[in-house]
Amino acid sequence: MSDPDKLPLLPPARRSFLEKAAPWLFIAPSLLLLLAIGLYPMIYTVYNSLQNFVMGMGPPVFNGGTNYITAITSQNFQNSVLRTLVLLVITLPVELVLGMMIALALDSQHSPFLRRLLQICLVIPIAITPAVIGLLTQLMFNEQLGVINYLLGRIGISPVDWLGSPTSAFATVVCVQIWEWTPFVALVLSAALSTVPPEVDEAALLETERWWPRFSAIRLPFMLPGITAALVFQTAFTMKAFDMIYAIQKGGPGSATEVAIIHIERLAFRGFDIGVASAQSILMLVLSIVLARTYIRLFYREVDG
Amino acid sequence: MSPQTADAIKRFLHAAGIVVVLVMILFPLYWMVAGSLKTQPELFAIPPHWTWAPTLDAYREAIADSGVLRALGNSLIVTLSAVALGLVVGVPAAYGIARYSFRGRREIWFWYVTNWMLVPVVVLIPFYLTAARLHMINNPLTLIAVYQIFIIPLVVWLMVDQFRSVPVALEEAAQLDGLNRFQIFLRISLPLVTPGLAVSAVLSGIFAWNDLLYAFILTPGDEVRTAPTIALSYLGGYTIPWPKVMATSTLVTAPVIIGGIAIHKYVARGLTMGAVK
Amino acid sequence: MKPEFTRAAPHATPPDATTRATSQGGRAITRMLGAAAFVAAAAVGGQAGAWSLKEAAAPYKGTTISIVGLERPSYEAAKKLTPEFEKETGIKVKWTSFPYENTLKEETLNFVANSEQFDVILSDVVWPVNFAGAKWTVPLDRFMKDPKLADPALDMKDFFPVWLASFTVDGKLYGLPFDSYAGLLYYNKSMLKAAGIDKPPATWDALREDAKKLTDKDKGVYGYALQSARGETQTADAFARFLWPWGGSFLNIADKKVTVNDAGAVKGMEFRQSLLPYMPSGIVADDHSQVVELLNQKKAAMITEWSAFYPTLSTGPLGDDLGIAPEPVGPDRGASAFGGFAYMISSQVSQKKQDAGWLFVQWLTSKEMAKPLIENGAVVARMSADKDPALQAKYPNLKPMVETWEKATIPDWRPQLQCYPRFSDIVSNWGSEIELGQVKIKEGLDKMAGELTSYMNSSNCWANANTPQKFIEMYK
Repeated sequence: MSDPDKLPLLPPARRSFLEKAAPWLFIAPSLLLLLAIGLYPMIYTVYNSLQNFVMGMGPPVFNGGTNYITAITSQNFQNSVLRTLVLLVITLPVELVLGMMIALALDSQHSPFLRRLLQICLVIPIAITPAVIGLLTQLMFNEQLGVINYLLGRIGISPVDWLGSPTSAFATVVCVQIWEWTPFVALVLSAALSTVPPEVDEAALLETERWWPRFSAIRLPFMLPGITAALVFQTAFTMKAFDMIYAIQKGGPGSATEVAIIHIERLAFRGFDIGVASAQSILMLVLSIVLARTYIRLFYREVDG
Repeated sequence: MSPQTADAIKRFLHAAGIVVVLVMILFPLYWMVAGSLKTQPELFAIPPHWTWAPTLDAYREAIADSGVLRALGNSLIVTLSAVALGLVVGVPAAYGIARYSFRGRREIWFWYVTNWMLVPVVVLIPFYLTAARLHMINNPLTLIAVYQIFIIPLVVWLMVDQFRSVPVALEEAAQLDGLNRFQIFLRISLPLVTPGLAVSAVLSGIFAWNDLLYAFILTPGDEVRTAPTIALSYLGGYTIPWPKVMATSTLVTAPVIIGGIAIHKYVARGLTMGAVK
Repeated sequence: MKPEFTRAAPHATPPDATTRATSQGGRAITRMLGAAAFVAAAAVGGQAGAWSLKEAAAPYKGTTISIVGLERPSYEAAKKLTPEFEKETGIKVKWTSFPYENTLKEETLNFVANSEQFDVILSDVVWPVNFAGAKWTVPLDRFMKDPKLADPALDMKDFFPVWLASFTVDGKLYGLPFDSYAGLLYYNKSMLKAAGIDKPPATWDALREDAKKLTDKDKGVYGYALQSARGETQTADAFARFLWPWGGSFLNIADKKVTVNDAGAVKGMEFRQSLLPYMPSGIVADDHSQVVELLNQKKAAMITEWSAFYPTLSTGPLGDDLGIAPEPVGPDRGASAFGGFAYMISSQVSQKKQDAGWLFVQWLTSKEMAKPLIENGAVVARMSADKDPALQAKYPNLKPMVETWEKATIPDWRPQLQCYPRFSDIVSNWGSEIELGQVKIKEGLDKMAGELTSYMNSSNCWANANTPQKFIEMYK
């Protein structure tokens, strides 16, 4: 994550109008576009969240903040947000640790061919359409007819009812989410690792042979921005994870894998309660922004003061 | 243990670790492609058939009855246009944020990132209602515009860093040579950030190509629908024709995987995400 | 259309037809001829020999109508036959197919945004009140009374009354049935025979006994499989199926009471739980396709599924081993699963599109098309075709289907409510939790009833609840 306040800047040039307007000329097109497609719908959603708006049951009627109260007190919504946070808390550390291990393996000098192959293959899980990943999960994790249980059977593990029991269904989603996004974390961390200047690394090697002090004192600080970026990215990916979970079994069995976004989609497009669903969406957005802000603050404490 | 043995063990563990990761990444991909070349009973056979007489029937079916090729074409047009638009407006914005000091710079940057966090369901209904009012449902332009909601933040995010890594001295020199800001941007800085451009383009392309939620709602018509929606549409049927699903999935994923592999060299330089000092 | 100044002369057609004729000045002459023909026909004693689809469609030649379909066999059949209609009429039919799960969402959005995307609307048996209650679709009497649009051979008496009643709201018919199902028992003949069972179970108790005999967990073989995935599958296939036969019901509309937790419902759910040992343990996650696959792969010996599955199963690996019987009856009554669709006409599109859409729906659901549709894999609610001995011999799903509709069908097997989507969602939520054993049966049903009651009251959902049962006599 780059902190724009610390960027090297161009010295001021001739103070022509064009010069003064330059930053805005650079930014304006994207800004206007994002205002139209990003801000406008967001405001529209806030507006909807203040209406009693059920599609097919008459025109929307303003109802103050009732929808927010309904949203916050809904046990199903609370559970789905909790599930999202649990998913986040489990997957983030695992993805970071595994991603770091892969990044370090890529950084080593051994087996150049395998390393190169791995580097190529890491983009595959990111590239596969998440909905297709969900379909593949349905197929491979099927209790009776799936290949995973067959392979487990070969090493003497009795078949697991991956998708049918609430706990294992959630575990399946966790596994698949980790499978899908660890490679991305690995790529980001690997790029971050490559920015550690070799001479710093070599100097450290003269100080101590031990790996951990070198890693934590020399490399890690260089990688912090990359780690922050990975965290923000992954938080967004986890909060937005819809296609994959939906394609597996639409949040089921029961509500075992119903994360917040699936809950909101269900309320909006199966129950048609646009008002409450909009309120829940806004709450989710606030949660995401708070999380992103927190990461940036945690890792850039000295900047934000 | 002699240092040589220790080293050999290290090498072995390193190689074994990589192999395990490779198998875990590639096996599902293999299963998808294998499934697309099987018949339904073969696909569900337990124990699985590791060798079989491959058949292209599933591909033939997918192409013949489901308009997969047309959908792939739609996806290609939408993705390329969306990425092109995103780069054309996003890259200058990144340059502006990276190289200028102005009021609200930090806020604007953070707001871009916020859009990346936006949960799609939130904006789906407003999008639909607005698009319907403008008679833009089933119009690929709608998707191209909507995808900017995640493409611009991604491009800006990645490219700010890339421009930051271009030495200021280079641009100062160009300034002395009499180039104006825009010429510096186009002639000096842009050529130096190609890895970042490639990574931004392909990553945005992947997310645009893979989108399902917006495409389902905004372009449901048979002539305009995109490829991923077809793969999922079989699920609504009575039996899932798995070989056909796998064949479609393979066709849908192939272009993105190829795109991803094409840029893998640039990834280390393009995905630095603020790590550049 | 080119501007045309010939105005239609007043003639013997209903007022709305006159407006239509004026608005389509260019076709006025043809219309007048058509009207004249009708008058003439009426004069010779109502023989409507003059009506032909080609003539009726002439004013709409070149119109494109947009119709919603599903990815299911009946629609594949319809799509295959559509070119015949296009050739005959010059009307172009544009199909858009959705997965079932997305259909209501797409159609509702279309209406809410007034986007005129679809002219001909597909309605599940549980949606008529959603569409008609919001005035999004039009009553069909306008077309049926218009001699230029109504095919004299329409023969409404040939539709099963229960199907017409199901699409009647406030005494007005809104849809013509298409893709109509009854729940049937599909079984593997060889497996039953091998277990010493000589005929398929006629009662649910017998089914449980047979399932017990057929289950061999070590081999991964199960006696029965019930599609139970959360969503409409849980509500309809897994919950309602075990509600009615034990005397349970969803609602008492007269007293505005939710009845999903009364004694019958508890008994039904207890029975459903008692079947779990004879089903694969992942069943709670399974949808139609997985259950069909279990039967196909000989992992399950019996399933209860819609009659529309016949083409899918009969072309599968079971071959002659596939057996079909009516769904078992419960201790209280026979109440087989009841589901299916109808085509309606959108109220938001131009009259021209409405008329052209009607002509297509009328053609698609006609007596004449029933046979070719069945032969292409569809299921329809036309008595003349469904009861045709020759067709019954060839398509063994027809006979038990007819039997079910005539003897063991409850028309409001699932309630018809304007708030049904949310209602069904609550039912499926608690239904799944009960099936998973996350909550005790009575406790889960009480919670379901509590949530339904507060939702029904707060959203004023009782006001226009529909009871199709009372319309059945209308169509007999």
